[in-house]
Amino acid sequence: MQPTGETTTESIGDRRPSSRTRWDATDLSLVAVFAALIAALAIVPGIPVGPLGVPITLQTLGVMLAGVVLGPARGTAAVLLYLAAGLIGLPVFSGFSGGFGVLAGPSAGYLLAFPLAALVAGAFARLILRGSARFRTGLLFLGCLAASLLTIHPLGIAGLMVNAGLPLREAVIVDAAYLPGDVVKNVLAAILAVSVHRAFPRLLGGRGR
Amino acid sequence: MRGFGSTLGLFVPGRGFLYRMPLAPKATASLACALAVVVWRTPLVAVIALAIAIGALTVGARIPPARIVRMLAPAAPVLVILAVYQGITQGWVRAFAVVGGITACLLAARAVTLTTPVQVLLDGVARLARPFRRVGADPERFALALSIMLRSIPYLAGMFVDIRDAARARWLQRSMRVAVTPLVVGAVAYAQRTGEALAARGLGEHDDGARDGAGDGVGVGGAAGDNARGDAGTSATEPS
Amino acid sequence: MSRAAPAVIEFTAAEVRSDSGPELILGPITLTLAERRVSVIGANGSGKSTLLRLVNGLREPTDGAVTVLGSDTRSEGRAVRRLVGFVFTDPLSQLVMPTGREDVELSLRARRLPARERRRRAEEVLDRFGVGHLADRSIYDLSGGERQILALAVVLAVDPRVLVADEPTTLLDLRNDARVRSLIGRLDQQVVFTTHNLEFALEADRTLVIDRGRVVFDGVPAEAVAHYRALAARSAEDQRSHSPEPR
Repeated sequence: MQPTGETTTESIGDRRPSSRTRWDATDLSLVAVFAALIAALAIVPGIPVGPLGVPITLQTLGVMLAGVVLGPARGTAAVLLYLAAGLIGLPVFSGFSGGFGVLAGPSAGYLLAFPLAALVAGAFARLILRGSARFRTGLLFLGCLAASLLTIHPLGIAGLMVNAGLPLREAVIVDAAYLPGDVVKNVLAAILAVSVHRAFPRLLGGRGR
Repeated sequence: MRGFGSTLGLFVPGRGFLYRMPLAPKATASLACALAVVVWRTPLVAVIALAIAIGALTVGARIPPARIVRMLAPAAPVLVILAVYQGITQGWVRAFAVVGGITACLLAARAVTLTTPVQVLLDGVARLARPFRRVGADPERFALALSIMLRSIPYLAGMFVDIRDAARARWLQRSMRVAVTPLVVGAVAYAQRTGEALAARGLGEHDDGARDGAGDGVGVGGAAGDNARGDAGTSATEPS
Repeated sequence: MSRAAPAVIEFTAAEVRSDSGPELILGPITLTLAERRVSVIGANGSGKSTLLRLVNGLREPTDGAVTVLGSDTRSEGRAVRRLVGFVFTDPLSQLVMPTGREDVELSLRARRLPARERRRRAEEVLDRFGVGHLADRSIYDLSGGERQILALAVVLAVDPRVLVADEPTTLLDLRNDARVRSLIGRLDQQVVFTTHNLEFALEADRTLVIDRGRVVFDGVPAEAVAHYRALAARSAEDQRSHSPEPR
């Protein structure tokens, strides 16, 4: 696990002294705390939007943040942990709901898309943060937007069709009601990610995550 | 900060047979309720599921009806809008089947988390996750992550409220960014502190303990702490 | 009082460099600590905390080695963390669960004890430290002193051989300071602690003075404290001669 000489061949500062590929207690704790952050943002009272009342909350902001702050692997793990907590019955979904019953509700598609969104946003973030420091906020915003358009919206629409029995056209219209809020949240996620990585430069940059 | 623990719907000591019932049958019943509602969207199933969930809360956990209503309040706007929409487009019978079913699931899930101490819930989750060991998962670490998460929600929610108040005091209440930046930076700092605390206690490390000199026997001596210490000492002082 | 023989901590040319560059934070240090009570004093940022973190492997030496009872902190980290308990200055960063009982049970969980045994031992440990009545209270409702005693109970629940405490009394008022100090004084474990309270430092069998990453004095507590006082006075003097006199 620890080939001799590895720590000396690595440039100091890029990694911590022991180069572990598996997660240590701090990684575990970051995953858990970001799962909690998503929950905290989700249970701040949301505004039900559209005829089906899938509420706008800061929940998706939490999901995007998990991806862009922690990177694809730990970010996805944080979202999965959050979903697991909700599905086993803890009231961490918006509106204090929880339990397998949410899979029957109209927002099921959105929930199931979250881990994928964190994965995609996290992968973009890792690329962007390893590159040059210019246009970071803008690029991160585009990464988040791409992630939400590729994952959250298609699966959300599918969920509306299956669980609320909407035809495709109407489902797309209902889903479109969330787009403006989404853009705002993605801008926010990008700005926040830049601040956080400035405060904790070793969080994602040089650790191979 | 106190209130958040109970708003989360976690264990509150009380009387009633649900408190004495082991976790497995409670969780199975709650899951069955959800499955039934998803598979058969009929009013009859909704009525049965609602009866079981409300019955469990009132009889099994002795929770007064007023508190059950209060439990549903945060989810009410969504449920009402969904009901009205379904009623108009698909008929009121269907609306009742869908919304009644979802309500029953929420209450059934709450009945389980309200009557089960957190540690028991975590043991259950760890046991449930055991089959995933084969694909490299570690149930104990999963349970630990879950408990850190639960512990952090009240902390972060409290921090969010504090930050919002501080921002308001400085006339900045309109800026979402001002409200959320310290929350996220604070969350990372908090996670790193917690990570260090866990590492210091030897928690959260993975389990392929090939180098694990002290062995698992440490501490099994129970009250005989000196024994346990002796064990740790001998196995660790003679590494090879 | 001293029924358990003190453990042995060995530093061999141990040094720590900063994560982001080659600058030396601490060391090189070569020492053997076998006394029951070792206190470490020095200015803020002198490297005291880093020294303590080396003992249980929270910080690994960039060069050299640190061993506890023969276990290397780098290659046998798990074993070392079972031997060495660590108490932080702020008990709130130590306690990771909402109540004391749950936190102690968490410590015992890692030892693979069955649920019933965990519960029984948690009860026993909390009573032993006189905080049994606080077991189910939220840690946020406890006073600073109660929290620090709880943090000690949590760490000692798994019977480490060595206790490392990083300024355990800094955040406490006088009464709780005395309470925590007397509790630490009665422990069977070897204890290594940092403190800014020189009276507390004098209660040790041996005292190290750290200044800018180096051990500048090592010996009898009374002499160490005198040395540290002289050092502080001299650096205050330097400060005065370098900065312009206020008029």
